[in-house]
Amino acid sequence: MTSEDVIVECRELTRRFGSVTAVDRVSFAVRRSSVFGLLGPNGSGKTTLIRMLCGVLQPTSGSARIAGFDVVREREKIQGLIGYMSQQFSLYDELTVEENITFYGRIHGLGRQELKNRREELLATMELGENRHKRAHELSGGWRQRLAMSCALVHHPQILFLDEPTAGIDPVARRALWDMLFDLAGRGITLFVTTHYMDEAERCSHVAYIHGGRLVVEGEPDDLKRLPAVNLPGTRRLEVTCDHVTRAMRIIKAQPGVLSATVFGQSMHLLVNDDFSEEEALRKLAEAGITEWDVRQIHPSLEDVFVELTLTSRSQTGERSG
Amino acid sequence: MRFWQTLTAVTYKEFITVFRDRTALFFMFFPPLVQIIAFGFALDMDIKHMYTVVLDEDRTKDSRAVVDTFVSTGSFRVVGEARSIEELREYLRAGKARVGIQIPPDFSQRLRRGEGAQVQVLIDGSNSTPALQALNTSLGVGFRYSLLALAQKSGAREVPLEIRPQVLYNPGLRSQNFFIPGVIGLALQIATVFSTALAVVRERERGTLEQLLISPISRPGLMLGKILPYFTISAAMSALLFWIMRGLFDVPIAGDLWALIAATLVYIFTLLSLGLLISTVAENTMQSFQMTLALILPSVFFSGLIFPRETMPWIFYAIGEVLPATYFIDLVRAIVVRGARWSDYARELSILCGMGAFIFAVCSFRFRRTLG
Repeated sequence: MTSEDVIVECRELTRRFGSVTAVDRVSFAVRRSSVFGLLGPNGSGKTTLIRMLCGVLQPTSGSARIAGFDVVREREKIQGLIGYMSQQFSLYDELTVEENITFYGRIHGLGRQELKNRREELLATMELGENRHKRAHELSGGWRQRLAMSCALVHHPQILFLDEPTAGIDPVARRALWDMLFDLAGRGITLFVTTHYMDEAERCSHVAYIHGGRLVVEGEPDDLKRLPAVNLPGTRRLEVTCDHVTRAMRIIKAQPGVLSATVFGQSMHLLVNDDFSEEEALRKLAEAGITEWDVRQIHPSLEDVFVELTLTSRSQTGERSG
Repeated sequence: MRFWQTLTAVTYKEFITVFRDRTALFFMFFPPLVQIIAFGFALDMDIKHMYTVVLDEDRTKDSRAVVDTFVSTGSFRVVGEARSIEELREYLRAGKARVGIQIPPDFSQRLRRGEGAQVQVLIDGSNSTPALQALNTSLGVGFRYSLLALAQKSGAREVPLEIRPQVLYNPGLRSQNFFIPGVIGLALQIATVFSTALAVVRERERGTLEQLLISPISRPGLMLGKILPYFTISAAMSALLFWIMRGLFDVPIAGDLWALIAATLVYIFTLLSLGLLISTVAENTMQSFQMTLALILPSVFFSGLIFPRETMPWIFYAIGEVLPATYFIDLVRAIVVRGARWSDYARELSILCGMGAFIFAVCSFRFRRTLG
């Protein structure tokens, strides 16, 4: 990546709250016009990281740059470049849809005519036109989210930070949001999205996973799935589809060579090594009366990647501190 | 340029928010109105017509004349007759009367013989203010009666010394003239400080503060934009409170109306800035409520609203010294009651101006550009 292509770059970014280290020496870069997914469980430091990148929270140490500007020293310069949609959506409930957009446009310094054009444009693309005179508190989750996004986009930011944008909204709105995100990315806007939905992570062009404030891994989803740490030599991943899948799993787990087994709906995902014998396992299943099955080899999912790497990093830090 | 754009955007938004949030508007206007009306009627400390019981063992024209003298002062009202000293004491102990007047059987005889007649007055001392009034009035009655008797005997026409007290500014000594202007200072305080104290905290809680922080907003523009709508509302409310003072409680405004308006506007601005300062420190609504109350409560006691500050221990006096309410109450009493001139209260007014400017400067500075 050349420096032209990079829009966000953080180096050893750290933030401590008292004795708690919320973000611990995190470094990564985000490419322009990409959809960057930041994953991690609750309390892993995602929001803290975003707040530092937006310049509303001071890093304890380390640095971050947005479009080449330091988020602390050149804060004024990044203000026009970034848009931020927080978890609570940050709307004024007593104001109408139009008034919310207008307010955010005004504080970002848009002129009257410019603002009017931009507002109409946003109302049209977000399909908010019919609700323009409704107060924000009258809107349902999905509409609130569209409005929040319009407000965050009003000043033509180059990068939009979205903190858990799909938490608590219905599947239709969730799908619509992702369609909109790809549309924006197509227009050259960089999207920086935090989530804990794995299916959303799969859709990102680049993902980073943080756990306990530490960056566990980052890269393109396909590259991550091919990481040697996830595909240990002598192991393979199998998907077994059969009846009575939970009962079947108890039987399979007892077989030699099964490293892990997880149920996914009507099937289970197995991580096995060379000690595992497919014929033996199927024979055991048949003894238990489960005769209909389908076995195929699969690639690891992103979830597999994150689980594997989190466990590895945990055991490593465990060894180090022990 | 950025200042104006921020100012107009924030002011407009706050105005809309306030007027659409009817409950907030109600809670801004309701408490001060209740306060002025409740305080106005309850803080009436004029003591008149104290319940009095008479034990007249003399039952002559003279004894009845003495009782009439007591009643004619306006301080006493006879509500019953006792037949024995025990019954008289019983009236006082039961709280059915505050004062008992006992006239002995030989009263008239001794009076006529010039032997020095006696009247016993029993006073319920459990509430010191009316007790003191009863004590002074009854002593006064005695002196007047004696003086007239002596003058009659000696044939003198003039008393050797006559005191002619003249009560200025509030000749009727109505306690309302004294209290109501002060209560306005207190009533304004609660509504104004709360309104701005919640203004920034609400943004923090809704997450809109983060949005303001990432925008190229002007700090003084934001602060002033938060203050202006509440300033307008508070000014309207002050007008209403002073109108109630004149209309309902008959307290005339003796001094310059413009001076009163100026003092009130400066006071409101100071209070709104104080509320804003609280909201830049408080993390949530609960905290800002507590801080506001902690700042308002001392002004009830130490601002000179009820108790004169001159006689307070130095520490309470010092607390009063830093409260905006202290200066405003002084100012309003000077303007409304005494009709003082600009030069008389220039000091209080400039201190209040200084406080307002200082607090506003501090909160513009304190308003964190970041969240942590």
